[in-house]
Amino acid sequence: METKHALPIQRSGPRQISSVGASASLSAPSTILEETFPRFSEPQQVYLERELMQRPPAVVSSLSSNSGAVGHIFSSSSGFSTDLHFSSVQQQQEKHRTQSPFISQSTSSGKLVKLPHSVDSQPLQSTASSHFNKESNESWCTDTLPDFLDFPMSTTIQSSQLYRSNSSGITIPHEDLGKPNDWQDWADQLITDDDALTADWSGLLADASVADPEPKQCTSISNQQPHIPQQLPSAPGEICMGGAQSSSNAAPGKQRMRWTPELHETFVEAVNKLGGSERATPKGVLKLMKVESLTIYHVKSHLQKYRTARYKPETTEESSERKPASIENFSSLDLKTGIEITEALRLQMEVQKRLHEQLEIQRNLQLRIEEQGKYLQMMFEKQCKSGTDLLKGSSSSSENALKELKDVQNSLAKDSSAVEAENKVSEGEPAKKTGETSQVAGEKQKTPEGVPSSPPTKRKKVDEEVPVSS
Amino acid sequence: MKFGKRLKQQTEESLPEWRDKYLSYKKLKKLVKLISSAPPTLSRSSLHCGGRAEAEFVYLLNAEIDKFNAFFMEQEEDFVIRHKELPQRIKNVMEKWGPNGSEASETEFKEQMAKIRKDIVNFHGEMILLMNYSNINYTGLAKILKKYDKRTGGVLRLPFIQRVLQQPFFTTDLISKLVKECESTIESAFPRWEREEEVVAVPGDGIFRNTVAALMTMREMRRGSSTYSHFSLPPLNMADIDVIQSLRVVAPIQIP
Repeated sequence: METKHALPIQRSGPRQISSVGASASLSAPSTILEETFPRFSEPQQVYLERELMQRPPAVVSSLSSNSGAVGHIFSSSSGFSTDLHFSSVQQQQEKHRTQSPFISQSTSSGKLVKLPHSVDSQPLQSTASSHFNKESNESWCTDTLPDFLDFPMSTTIQSSQLYRSNSSGITIPHEDLGKPNDWQDWADQLITDDDALTADWSGLLADASVADPEPKQCTSISNQQPHIPQQLPSAPGEICMGGAQSSSNAAPGKQRMRWTPELHETFVEAVNKLGGSERATPKGVLKLMKVESLTIYHVKSHLQKYRTARYKPETTEESSERKPASIENFSSLDLKTGIEITEALRLQMEVQKRLHEQLEIQRNLQLRIEEQGKYLQMMFEKQCKSGTDLLKGSSSSSENALKELKDVQNSLAKDSSAVEAENKVSEGEPAKKTGETSQVAGEKQKTPEGVPSSPPTKRKKVDEEVPVSS
Repeated sequence: MKFGKRLKQQTEESLPEWRDKYLSYKKLKKLVKLISSAPPTLSRSSLHCGGRAEAEFVYLLNAEIDKFNAFFMEQEEDFVIRHKELPQRIKNVMEKWGPNGSEASETEFKEQMAKIRKDIVNFHGEMILLMNYSNINYTGLAKILKKYDKRTGGVLRLPFIQRVLQQPFFTTDLISKLVKECESTIESAFPRWEREEEVVAVPGDGIFRNTVAALMTMREMRRGSSTYSHFSLPPLNMADIDVIQSLRVVAPIQIP
């Protein structure tokens, strides 16, 4: 599933990107990207990688300095020699040239909170359409991109090469880009336009499959439909903040759908309406599902998985039907082994359940630790600030800060005992474990006190007897 | 290097397709070393070297996160599809070969149910292993970030880990829910029976083995370290851990 790129990948950091030429810079981050991108944890949402928005500045400089190469990319006239895959994609893209652009929203970045406005979209489209595939990539780069950065909708580059880079690209504009604000219309348009698209997709997939048989890969490559996340305003907030902080190098445009049970049910309903998994087509399913931000690629790959999941058990069940004779033969022998196997399975279940339990506990602990760490950090900073305030003469704020710090310590202590109680309850075998639990209690109690002011320091080995502190 | 060793062990014992999806802890560690070993002189080359390694470090971290997310969501998608299929299969088998079924046949029924039982237990196990995957990678990230901060005096850890907490691969609530659903399906379809004999199963390659390994690793990793702090986890608190450990020893029955 790893990269299929022929180009030896340089894992160049952000610093290098501006210094290296366009083609290299664009391909450098490529390895990592593959098909992965951030997802909303909300269902049915797809959005572009936020880091996308952080990348453009770096890429712009490189792009403008290498307009030749850039022109090359955008015109998609000939594939990059770097990747056979890309070249095949680019051939396809020529056909797609006149079709809809891919406008995907990058709602992600914390900076970009608003939805598209007509004002912003206009300049983008007009410049894009006029410059596209023409000389002045530079002017394009410099003029459009600033707007573009403010512009919450980012257009993704049609070339998969650019998908793989961090540039938030430009797409081949659609002639009808006159109604910029009508995202809904675009979505419909694209969906209705997909007859031609579908033909191309299958061709594309065929090409893609040469390089990479996984459907997933195909999903990432030619995602040409706009993604219009439904719950834009609500969800992105928290998720975006997280993302905006990273200087990640994920590629734009590869949007992965996080399939939830609800979404899947909608999918299954649609499939059933169309006559079952074998007869249903991705296009049909997509239309029936009526889920915005769902693309045909998502549906396609999901359908494939669905078919595989149903086909396998059915074949095994059928094949066993055809061997009744052999079953009779060892049925008596089977009985004993059957019981043992069942026992073994039962044991397996037990162990699995344990692991699950422990994982949940561990995860909760980790979450709590980080939460408190964050809170404490805030407290330190506040205290530091109020410390300086104190020097300046105002003492009340520092007192407050200290008080809050104490409160945090108390709550930490409370929480740790709560966690420990959780541990005890989930274990249910106090007798055996009292030794260990009291040790746990001791350690947890001890930690809050070690917290103030100093960062984690080396401590004695925990194996030693830890006195349970009050 | 203890975590590194544990991680390596876990990786090797994991399901084959998963092996390259784990955290590249060693690599990251090397980068941290490189960063911190670049002497704090004003020489251009060392600064550049340290700076470059630092950039690479961050770059790699992000790449790893993307890798986790992709793999995790792929698996999650599979699980979402399968979680409905198994109850459906049970229903089909009951309707066809069950006592009131259209082609009631006890042998057929038993055989089919046995298959389903095995599949469903493995399904349960796989989901849990995915959770384990998520957790172990998170732990690795937390550790490497801590190392980074410690060695370079940076403050990368806190904001970074906050971001990680929100990543899809760490938000395992859905999987947990599916696991619970699976358990209830198992309860209803395969009622418990009394233990007829003491049977010890040996975890062969595969899910069971991996599960046992995961538990062991978890326990080892939480055994306490020299740098115990308020960011560290307490030791594993689990009954029967010794019994489970003994499962690693050779025993008669192998789960096919």
